[in-house]
Parts: sequence; C-alpha cells; structure tokens
Amino acid sequence: MIDKLLLLLLIILPLIAAVKILIIFRKFPKLTEAAALSATLLNLLLAIILFKSEIRFFAPWLGWGLDFSLRLYHFSAFIILAIAGFSFLIALYSVVFMRGKPCLNQFYVYFLLTLAFANGVVLSDNLLILLFFWEGLLLTLFGMIAIGNKNAFQVATKAFIIVGITDLCMMIGIALTGYLSGTMAISQINLPLGGLASLAFILLIIGAISKSGSMPFHSWIPDAAMDAPLPFMALIPAAFEKLLGIYFLTRICLDMFRLNVNSWLSILLMIVGAVTIILAVMMALIQKNYKRLLSYHAISQVGYMILGIGTAVPAGIVGGLFHMINNALYKSCLFLTGGAVEKQTGTTNLEELGGIGSKMPVTFICFIITALSISGVPPFNGFFSKELVYDGALQRGNIFYIIAVLGSFFTAASFLKLGHAAFLGKLQEKNNNVREVSFSMLLPMIVIALLCIVFGVFNYLPLNKLIGPILGESRLGGHNFSGFPVNMKLVVVSVVVLIAALLNHIFAVRVKGSAIKASDHIHHAPVLSAIYDRAEKRFFDPYDIGMNITRKISKVAFLCDKAIDWIYNVLIVKLTFAFTNEIKRLHNGSYSMYLVWSLLGLFLVAAFLVH
Amino acid sequence: MRYDLVLLNTVLIPVAGAFILPLVARISLKTRDFAALGLVLASFVFSLLLIPQIMAGRAVIIFSQLPLGFNFVLTADALAVFMACVSSFISAIIILYSFGYISHYENQNEYYTMVVLFLGAMMGLVFAGNLILLYVFWEITAITSWRLIGFFREKKHVICADKAFLVTMFGAVLMLIGFISIFQQTGSFDLAVIKESVKTNPVSNLAIALILVGIFSKSATLPFHTWLPDAGVAPSPVTALLHAAILVKIGVYVFARLFLTTFSLAQFWHTAVPIIAAISAIVSAGAALRETDIKRIIAYSTVSQIGFIFLGLSIGNELAVAGGLLYILMHGLAKAGLFLCAGIIEQNTKTKDITKLGGLIKTMPVTAMAFLFCAFSVMGIPPFGGFFSKYMVFAGAVETGHLWIVFAFLVGAFLTILYLFRVFNLVFLGEARSLIQAKEKSPIMVTSVAILAVLSLVGGIFINYPCGFVQIILANMAGIIK
Repeated sequence: MIDKLLLLLLIILPLIAAVKILIIFRKFPKLTEAAALSATLLNLLLAIILFKSEIRFFAPWLGWGLDFSLRLYHFSAFIILAIAGFSFLIALYSVVFMRGKPCLNQFYVYFLLTLAFANGVVLSDNLLILLFFWEGLLLTLFGMIAIGNKNAFQVATKAFIIVGITDLCMMIGIALTGYLSGTMAISQINLPLGGLASLAFILLIIGAISKSGSMPFHSWIPDAAMDAPLPFMALIPAAFEKLLGIYFLTRICLDMFRLNVNSWLSILLMIVGAVTIILAVMMALIQKNYKRLLSYHAISQVGYMILGIGTAVPAGIVGGLFHMINNALYKSCLFLTGGAVEKQTGTTNLEELGGIGSKMPVTFICFIITALSISGVPPFNGFFSKELVYDGALQRGNIFYIIAVLGSFFTAASFLKLGHAAFLGKLQEKNNNVREVSFSMLLPMIVIALLCIVFGVFNYLPLNKLIGPILGESRLGGHNFSGFPVNMKLVVVSVVVLIAALLNHIFAVRVKGSAIKASDHIHHAPVLSAIYDRAEKRFFDPYDIGMNITRKISKVAFLCDKAIDWIYNVLIVKLTFAFTNEIKRLHNGSYSMYLVWSLLGLFLVAAFLVH
Repeated sequence: MRYDLVLLNTVLIPVAGAFILPLVARISLKTRDFAALGLVLASFVFSLLLIPQIMAGRAVIIFSQLPLGFNFVLTADALAVFMACVSSFISAIIILYSFGYISHYENQNEYYTMVVLFLGAMMGLVFAGNLILLYVFWEITAITSWRLIGFFREKKHVICADKAFLVTMFGAVLMLIGFISIFQQTGSFDLAVIKESVKTNPVSNLAIALILVGIFSKSATLPFHTWLPDAGVAPSPVTALLHAAILVKIGVYVFARLFLTTFSLAQFWHTAVPIIAAISAIVSAGAALRETDIKRIIAYSTVSQIGFIFLGLSIGNELAVAGGLLYILMHGLAKAGLFLCAGIIEQNTKTKDITKLGGLIKTMPVTAMAFLFCAFSVMGIPPFGGFFSKYMVFAGAVETGHLWIVFAFLVGAFLTILYLFRVFNLVFLGEARSLIQAKEKSPIMVTSVAILAVLSLVGGIFINYPCGFVQIILANMAGIIK
C-alpha cells in the first residue's frame, strides 16, 4: 500500500510544489527557489527509494478500458531516476542562472509541471493516461519557451504547433492500437506488424520521434535555443525529450509491436535516423553561435538513437538506448557550459568569445570532457554507445554505417571548432574581467561530466544493470556488450575518422587563420554552398512548407465558404426577386388578362372534375 | 418530492418569468437583472434536482391528453437532464456577464426578456416528449434569436438576423414535413409511441433526410452554416448563447434525441452524416484561418467543432457517442468563454479586427489567460476537458473502421490548433498595435470568463463525473447504438 502511495507521489509531489509556487509564493522568489529545489530533491530521493521495486497501481476510471493504471518496473524506474537526477541538477543550476530574470515563478511552475507530466508519461500503463501526460507536456513546452525573450512566443507557437500536430497523429495511433489489440493496457499489448497495425505503428512513431526532436519535426529547436531561457534547453530538448521520446520509441518497437529485421518499417526508421544524423550535423557545423550549434547536435544525436533502435538487432538497440542516456548527460552539460559562458560574458556569439578557457577553467574542463564524449573519443561514454550503434548499423547495411561514421566526423569537427573558438585563441578585451561561475552552477556540470567518464570507463554498470534487462535475456541472445568493443575494425575506423577530423581542423585553421572559420571550406564548397544558402534562408524548414500548404488549403476552404454564402446572399435573393417580378407582371390590372386567367382556371378545375 | 412539479418548473419558470421581467423593471433595473439571473438559476437548480431520480434509473414524465389526438408530454431522462443542466448553467454565466456588457445599451428589457425566453424554450425543447411540442419550442428559439441577433437594430444587423431566421426556418419547415411523414407512418407524435412503433417498421429515409436538413440548418452545418458567422453582429453574450448554450446545440440535441434514443439510423447514414460533418469541419476551419474578425473566427470554429460532435453522435459507436455528448459540455464551456472574452476585447478596444490588435496580455491578463484556457480546451489539449471528448470521438470513429473520415477530421483538428493560436498571438501577444489603452473595466465580465476557463480545466481533471453521467445516458440508448 505504502509503495503505491509513493508511486503516486512521484506525480503529485511536483504538482503540489508547482501549485504552491503559482498561488502562494508568486511574490517571493527565494521561497519559489526553495520550493523548486526541495521538490526536485524529494523527487530524486523518491526515485532512488523506488529504484529497485516493481509496483503497479490500478484504479478504474472512465470505462471502455480507460483505467488509471501506473506501472513501475526496471525500464521505467531507470528513466524516472534519470529524469529526477537531471531535474534536480538543473534546478540547482537555474537558481543562480535565472535569478533576477522576469517570469521567474512561471519558469519554476512550468519546470515542476514538466517533471510531474514526464513522470506520469513514464509510469503510465494505459495508453490514454500516457497520452494525457504526453500532450500535457505541450502546455509547459509552450510556457517555458514563451517566457524567453521578446519574440520567444513565436517560437513557442511554432513548437506547440509542430508537437501538437504530431501528438494528434499519435492520438489516432493510440486509438488504433487500442482497437486492434483490444486493450489499452500498455503492458498487455503485443501486436504483429502488418496492415492496420503498421499504420498504428507509424502514427505512434511520429509522436515518439517528434518528441525526441528528430527530423522532420525538429525545426523549432534551433529557434528555441536562441529565444528560450537556457535551462529550458538543457532540461527539455537535451534531456527530457530524448529520454521520453526514446523510452516510448523503445516501448513501441520492443513491447507493443515486435519490430524485426525483415520489416520495411525497420528500414524506414533507419532512414529517418540516418537522414537526421547527417543533415543536422551539417547544419551544426556552420553555426557561429554556441547555443545554436549545440541545438543542431541535439537533433543530430537523436538520429543515432533512432538508427540504433531501428536496426532491430541487439547491438543496435542496446547502443541506441545507451546513447540515449549518454546523450542526455553530455548534451545537457554542454548546454549548461553554454549557459555559464552566457551568464559571465553576456553573449553566446562565437565571434565575441575566445580565450575564456583560462578565465573559466572548470567550465572549460567540463566542456572538454563532454565534447570528447559527444565526439566519441575513448574512453568516454559516447564512444561506447556509438560503437554499438555502428555495429548494429553495419549488420543492416553499409550505407547506414557510412552515414553514421560521416556524422561522427562532422560532430568532432564542429566541437573542435566550438571549443577552439570559444575557450582558446585570443581573449577579447571586453572579456578581461570574466570570472568562473558560482559553485551551484558548477556542481551540476561537474557531476554530469564525471558521470560521462564513469559511464565510459565502467560501462558495464549502465549496460548490464540498466539497459540489459530492458531487452531481456532472450532478446540479448547471450551477448554481453559491456567492456571494450569486440570488433576492432570498427574501433580503428572510428579512431581514423577522429584523427581526420583533427587534421581537418588544424589544416582549416591554418589556412583561414581563425578557429571560427574552421568550417568555411565545407560551408563554401561548390554544391554545398548553394544548399547551405537555401537552408539558412529556411527553404527547407518543414514547418514553413507545411504552413504554406495549410495556407493554400485554407484559401480553397475560404472560397468554398464564400461560394456557399453567395448562394444565400445573392442567388436566392435574385431568384426570389425574379420570381416575384414575374408574378407582379401578371397582376397588371388588365381585365382581359384576368379574364384569360379565370377561364384557364375554370378549364383546369373542369378537367380535374371530369377525370 | 413531487418530481413532476420540479420538471414542470424547469420549463415554466423561465418561459413565464420572461414576460414578468419588463414589469419587474418598473421596480428597479437592478432587481430586473437579478430576477433574470434568478429565473435561469432556478431552472438550473430544478434540473439539478432531477439528477437523483436519473441516477436511480427512473425517468420523470408529465403526460396530459389534449383534444384532437394531441398530447402534452415532458420527459426527463438522462439525456434531457444532461442537456438541460449544461444549457441552463452556461446561460446563467452568460446572464451574469450581461450585467456588465449590456448595461450601457438601450432596450435592456427586451434583451433580458428574450434571453430568458430563449433559455426557457431550450428547456422546453429538451424535455419535450412529443414532436409537435418540440417543433413549437424550436420555433420559439428561432423567433427569440432573430430578435436578439438584430438587437442593435442597424440595417446590416437586421439583414443578418433575417438571414438566420430564414435559413433555420426553411430547415424547420422541412423538418416539420418529416415529422408529419413519421406521424403518417406511426399514427402518433409521441416519442414513446414512435419508439415502440418503429421497432418493427423503420422510418423512411426521406423523412430522415428532411429532419436532417432541419437539424443541420439549426446546428449550422455545411451547407446551411453561413448564417452563423453573420450572426456575430449580435451582442457578445448573445453570440455566446447561440454558439455554446442554446441554438446550435439544439440541432445536436435533437439528433441525439431522435436518432439515438428513439429510432436507429440505417447503415447508410452512419457514413453519410460523418462525411457531411467532415466537409463542414474542414471548410469552416479553413475559413476561420483567413477571417480577420474575431467573432467570425470563433463562429467558424463552432461550425467546425459541431462537425466533431456530429461525427461522435452519428458514426454509430458507443465510445464515440459518449465522446460526442461530452463534447457538447466541454465545447459549451470553452466556446462560451471564447465569445465572452471576445466581447471584453471588443468593448474595451472598440474593434473586432484581430490585425489591428496586439499585446493585450499586458493590460488584460485575466482575459488573456481565460482565452488561452478555453482555446486549449477547444484544441483538445490535456488536462483540459476538450481532450477527453476529442479522444473519445476519434477512438470511437477508429473502431468503426472509417479511417478516411478519421483522417479528414484530423486535418480539422490541425486547423483548429492553427486558427486559435493565430487569434491568440495576434490579439494578446506581440506589440500593441492600437493606441487605445485597453483595460479590463468590468470585473463582473472578467469573473464570468474566469469561471468558464477554470471550469474547462476542472472538467478535464474531474472528467470521471461527467463521464459517469454520460454512461447512464448510454445505458438508456441501449439497443439503438452498438
């Protein structure tokens, strides 16, 4: 009984804290911060206490199989713990970062609501409950972006529309899945793919990959990076959305539907993953802003996860899941370093930065560790998860492997550029007085950076304890993926690629003369430069394309509507007048005319009577 | 308790009371205002009093035989009580709002009389157990709405009122022919008798088609919908009444009353009505995306959302019907809120053109939040009430296997998000475009929209209560829907 209450507390606790801040503490920023910190800390403790348990909560609710049921088991407990950890660390960071910013209490309200909804998503064992919390995240997403700078509401709207539309697709997917499987209980659903089930699968996947920020549902993320408050970026697109999106993707592919290597849907997922990896990283490479560059990587990295899970082979799935947690770690830490730089220098524009590594040594070290992780340098965590994804991709087709490795090359190149341009090089004069950020902002970065090392060096911990059970013994087929990669050929290729990226960087800096121009030779390459130009002008933004189509649809609809209105306002009126005019003309007062009518009438009556 | 008296009072109090209001105005204008609110609230309270009977599974019936084979029947079953509670409650809030809105216009006596009579006719229609009685109340609503739409008496407004009256009247006459054809077949106008009779002998498709024309014209469904956006010239509380509480809900209610509780539709209609509803939902949502007059946009939104309700009620699946009925409640609350917000904006800025507005969230924060809450509910975003109704309608429709219709409605739902955000962003966010310093002047108006917004949220969080009641309604429909 008590454990069931604790389970509910995971959702209720942040909710209460949010309401408390909204109503009671709105005028007291200190109390607001204290409430947010204590709520996230308690949530973390709860997650730790419940980590090893298996709990089910069930309450009948609306009928038609729409019950309020929650389930905590190894997979959801893992995600709950990760969410709890990130939210506590980022709350700690926000206390300093957000201090004095407008809409402070709103920020924490949305933060805590997001936490409550995210816990709800992970725990729910009924599709409707899942959808309820999942779509509820839309509200906090909108709110958190909208409280950014002056034009942030436009980005917030864009994010809301993109995610809202994909959520509606997911709603249909959920209805269809519930109908096909005859139950709404997620743990009981087990559908073979094919026919309508494939349609349901695709609709659900749209929701999952849109949440995780994959292409083609990504375009709000780089915009939000510029306009939304920074802790939002570290919390939502970098950590929560990856965890939730990939969690649900895994549940779909492994539990609810049995995705196998023979299915065309597996190929489809791999294509989505591969395209996301390469296009997003190409965009990241040419960015000249700290946060915007990171945001493109937040998109690109999700491609590895989707590619890995899409391969439907054990190595790929394990790699995808491992990459999910690794990415959440290093990506949120990278955003936090970006925030530290922004806080101290007032800018994230790379042209105004440079040389601040000596002024902010701890931030710089955290950056180095996480940048090495994301680039896939051994022995950091990113290396091991990427090797597993490569392994899976290679089993399914050379082309996927090549794209993934190419992605790594550009990732390494862009982080060399970013680190070099921001932290090394010549210190700008206005940054002479820059100092290291305060301890409570450093602590989250240090903790996460250390975790990146731990998850790399002792990778059997996450791989065997957290991710292994998700697949289960039978699916793992006796493989043990921990330790150093078995396939040495893959490792050699990866190392060669990394060295190539380094050489490329050194060469480019020497030719162009500065770190920020290190990607210019790719940016201005013959064919690429034309494509880049159009991409920068948003020719390829799926959101804008979709909006254009919608505008055309609405124009047609509007014309239809006006045509119908014309019938009422013009046609019927004209017909009525024409008719009455005719009648009027007949009543012209002429005796002879009336006589003719009377006789005609008489004749008709007579004819009727005779018959 | 004499439940038949309770039932009689729900109808009689507003219908008779409406005519006393001009007399009460002789005492004092404030008394008249509160009397109007009191009449509607009394009707609401009496409807609430019927709930225990419904929960116990008993219907309350008043029956008296009239000469020439006619009779007077009021029946309070679960569906009727549900509809009566929703309508009278929303109307009460709208009257509360009118205290602030209408206070500086002329002809207030006429306004309150017509509004209360309007609601009274709605209550009569809801409980009517006989087709003729239903038709009589139906036409009373047409007359009162005609008077209310043309309330400001400008030439253009009167033309719009005439249009509304003529279109709905045209439908009503066709519907009456349909009723007569049912009478010829079954020998009675009494719904209970008809229900028994049609079990062996289904109603002809022609009669159903005629009745549907009446329903569609009243509920503003394509191609009989264009009077509704034009009716936006009415005072805002009136448009809220038309859209959320009474007029367009009449068609939906009569659909449920006749085709879900009295006789069942042939399979053909379970496809035909959703297709009409889908076209209606998409075309009007598209039009809403291009209009610039805030009230016209919300009016098109109603046309579009009514399509969703018809989908739920007509697709022939229990879950979808439950969704459709919940939709009536959730849409009523949210849409009334949207119109009343539009009224506040219109009164304080003196414009309805959204391209001339902007940045109002700073000066009108409560209105902005209320508008956003109601908009979220209409979009179907949890935890607002609209989420559940939308999900149920979709899930029910999916179960019938008409996936093309579902995807057509999905487009409608996309567009809903777009046009509501367009309004919100243009009106409340961005730079203030008008020089007028708009303030939320009337606290009573702001309070009423806040109540509706909060209820949209509460309705979603405590969805199990309305949902439980809807299940009782469905139990009454057993055997007619699958």
